[in-house]
Amino acid sequence: MISLAGRDILHSWSRFILTGLGLGLLIGVTFTMAGVYRGMTDDAQVLLNGSGADLWVVQKDTLGPYAESSGIPDDTYREILGLPGIVRAANVAYLTMQVRKGNADVRVMLVGFQPGQPGDAPYLVAGRRITRSHYEAVADVKTGFVPGDRIRIRRHDYTVVGLTRRMVSSGGDPMLFIPLKDAQEVQFLKDNDAIVNQRARTVENPSLNRPGVPGLLRSIQASQTSSHSVNAVLVQVAVGHSAEVVARDIRRWKRLQAFDRRQMEDILIAKLIATASKQIGMFLVILTIVSAAIVAFMIYTMTLGKIREVAVLKLIGTRDRTIAGMVLQQALGLGLIGFVVGKIAATLWGPAFPRYVLLLPGDALRGFAIVMIVCVLASTLGIRAALKVDPATAIGG
Amino acid sequence: MIDGLGIQIEGLSKRYGAGATAVDALRDVNMRVAPGEVVGLIGPSGSGKSTLLKCLGAVIEPTHGRMTLGGEIIYDNGWKIADLRVLRRDRIGFIFQAPYLIPFLDVTDNVALLPMLAGRDNAAARARARELLKALDMEHRAGAQPSELSGGEQQRVSIARALANRPPVILADEPTAPLDSERALAVMRILNQLAAQYQTAIIVVTHDEKIIPTFKRLYNIRDGRTIEEAGQERALA
Amino acid sequence: MKLPVKIPGKVWFIAFGIALLVGFGWVATQTGPLAPTRVTVTRVVKGDVSPALFGIGTVEARRSYLIGPTAAGRVSRVLVDVGDAVKAGQLLAEMDPVDLNARVNSAAAEAARAESAVRTARAQALDAKSRQEFAAGEAQRFTELGRSHLVSQNELDSKLQQQKSTLAQLAAAESALTGAGQDLARLEANREGTKRQRVNVRLEAPTDGVVTSRDAEPGSTVVAGQAVLTLEDPGSLWVVARLDQGRSAGLAVGLPADIVLRSEPRRPLRGRVVRVEPISDSVTEERLADVAFEKLPRAVSANELAEVTLTLPTIPDVLVVPNASIHFRGAEAGVWLLVGGHPRFAPVKLGAESLDGKMQILDGLRAGDEVVTYSERVLGEGSRIRVVASLVATAK
Repeated sequence: MISLAGRDILHSWSRFILTGLGLGLLIGVTFTMAGVYRGMTDDAQVLLNGSGADLWVVQKDTLGPYAESSGIPDDTYREILGLPGIVRAANVAYLTMQVRKGNADVRVMLVGFQPGQPGDAPYLVAGRRITRSHYEAVADVKTGFVPGDRIRIRRHDYTVVGLTRRMVSSGGDPMLFIPLKDAQEVQFLKDNDAIVNQRARTVENPSLNRPGVPGLLRSIQASQTSSHSVNAVLVQVAVGHSAEVVARDIRRWKRLQAFDRRQMEDILIAKLIATASKQIGMFLVILTIVSAAIVAFMIYTMTLGKIREVAVLKLIGTRDRTIAGMVLQQALGLGLIGFVVGKIAATLWGPAFPRYVLLLPGDALRGFAIVMIVCVLASTLGIRAALKVDPATAIGG
Repeated sequence: MIDGLGIQIEGLSKRYGAGATAVDALRDVNMRVAPGEVVGLIGPSGSGKSTLLKCLGAVIEPTHGRMTLGGEIIYDNGWKIADLRVLRRDRIGFIFQAPYLIPFLDVTDNVALLPMLAGRDNAAARARARELLKALDMEHRAGAQPSELSGGEQQRVSIARALANRPPVILADEPTAPLDSERALAVMRILNQLAAQYQTAIIVVTHDEKIIPTFKRLYNIRDGRTIEEAGQERALA
Repeated sequence: MKLPVKIPGKVWFIAFGIALLVGFGWVATQTGPLAPTRVTVTRVVKGDVSPALFGIGTVEARRSYLIGPTAAGRVSRVLVDVGDAVKAGQLLAEMDPVDLNARVNSAAAEAARAESAVRTARAQALDAKSRQEFAAGEAQRFTELGRSHLVSQNELDSKLQQQKSTLAQLAAAESALTGAGQDLARLEANREGTKRQRVNVRLEAPTDGVVTSRDAEPGSTVVAGQAVLTLEDPGSLWVVARLDQGRSAGLAVGLPADIVLRSEPRRPLRGRVVRVEPISDSVTEERLADVAFEKLPRAVSANELAEVTLTLPTIPDVLVVPNASIHFRGAEAGVWLLVGGHPRFAPVKLGAESLDGKMQILDGLRAGDEVVTYSERVLGEGSRIRVVASLVATAK
């Protein structure tokens, strides 16, 4: 027995392939949406992995440093280093802001880090690591910077010396790594106008500007413009010690909150990504329904176009089962072409998306199963039409 | 005529609808066609020709009567065959007004389809198809697509298809309608030849003036009733 | 679409199918999480490392002088303004003497009066002395007469008593004289002091220099110790550089320095470390180094920002790797060494680092070893890798 479905497909191959391509693009969009969701979760994972930390120590009663702003004194890390079970503890500062390159603004997450400590970029794809204590930066490739670029952050010009990749905030902004002291200044030092205003106000204040105490005013103004806060301390726990136990120790200090890896994941994924994931879930459902509708329509149309042949086949003795099988096979073939085209398209255009698109093999398999099921369901419309045909209609009259 | 072989219809009636709106398409039709015989069925439109074919083709159920095909009683006030589809496939050949070839199969596969449906393996089915095509002088177009053939060629292929499973009966519905007189006579010649060769009983429903004179026997159907007539039996050259 | 050769649909379809399969296969194995990680690799070679220390600092004057009065007062006039060059001893400003002149006069008058009192006391002492001398002479005469019984005992006693009394009077007069003299001394010192206060009303430049701030205008009241003007010696400008404590190994006096002023970023100046502050900043964790200019630039202002690079002696012929290859596992530094085509973490001991990113390896690697420099993602022991020439399109 020959395959009627196969012969029919070969006979009207152009229409079939064009429909397959169109369906494939739609499926590709669906894959991409799912990939965006996976990418957001991966962004969170990468953010946590890339920091190299086992514990995040932040201001008490905050969910910082990524979900909420947090500020702790920058000498806290010394006390933390003294606790048992801790191998490294380092200050970090995080700030999302615009930086200038030439005439263009780029939105980045500024990371203030200490070289070699948790918070540093874990690997480079070009250039070198920072060697000077100020005014050098390592950028994620998504910023569009290359080594040698001069960029402006607030008051100072920085030289980009190295590039990394896949270092993004949970909001998808690429990271820019600069020395911690510079980041502290950027974060806590106001712009020139505000500083001038503050100085003027301090001078007007008679309790701060005492004539009998020369030098008092200068000291006060100096303390107003110095910044000794950071957003978090990243902690690496020694092998053999439990991060939870160490976190408990730190929390006991009452003015600090400590999150371990699991809790940070929960914060980032459950809280930050929740709304976006709901939206994406809705989109996926809608796209699946649209794809099903397209397959159903296409198969139905193709079957209707064959009504006369179906009547003749039935009359001359073809089983209903065979005819239904032909329609079904065509639907599955269409689905297969759509799936393959969609997977290839999603892989090819994924990198062009502003957010990271991650396609896992498991997702591809699941997608394949869903496409096949959808095609089976969509073909029922065409199958019903085919089975309803009365073979007597082949005999005219 | 050997009793039962060929086609034998007794008292066949078909009523559509019920009550006041009922239509009697066939009233007490009697017909017989011997194996190897080509019999014409003529009549005005609406006279019940198609209904008779549909009953014989086992696609509609008569109201009452008896039908015997190839020595087998297929209907006696109720279907006597379990699987009508298999009956149609193996015991009846259909030739339609239009060739109705399957457009996505080539000529050979169109003819070989029926043996394949009947369970023959593809090679044997195709061999059989080529045999028939040769008999119909269509061997040279064995690999062509139906869309590449002329009307006459398509009709010949559809005749080959009808014979593919060697059915004892062929039902032909206006087979010469789209053809000119030369082609039409050629088709009738082929049908007579093959009927004699394979001892098939063939009913040809037609109102084509060109071929009516060629029948040896005719049935005239009017208002659902048939009258047997002798044909002119004009010789087919 | 008309083609010169009729290609049956079957062939098109099969071609399409093959293209799809190939595309799918490529997608599955070469991209996404299943694909091997792309890395670039560097050979460990021997080279020179020119370490340098980097810090930012501000230009400051080594010495600055706050010019102000020693007593509260009102500023009378200010003779110089910001930017003026002054010479040592030049009058810069004057305080309002207020009643100082009157007080000097009053002190002088008091001293004069004391002088008169001294003269009076001296005269009185002289008088007392002459009386005492007379009484002493009388007493002696009478004593001699008394021995010859020519006068009465009564007369003798009286003369003796007179002698004693005038002696006492003389002592009193002499002490009065001393007292008047001390008084005079005190009042003269007073007068001197008041005079000197009047001198302090004049604010003079203690040394050559440039006025860098004018903090009080004529008419304003200042307290003792408050500055009216600030004076700096422009020749003593240097850069106080702050270096991260962790990256200041080798900091010593005499290191050559390149100074880049914020106002002239394209013209680096040369200098030298002249002092390393003995007290570091524990809050900012920085060490302070004072860097003097080799040649003082013409237009530089105090408090201006500068970037300072101190050059340490070059370390020749040592194993170097790019610092991008260095990774930390816990507190341990190491590199990803290619062993049989797979990466293995090899702990290393780090030496000096140059500012352009070359890191000296003291221990842990041999020349000719291949280490991973750039990678697409974090590596693990034995990760599947693919060595490529570069991970990014070459920069413009």
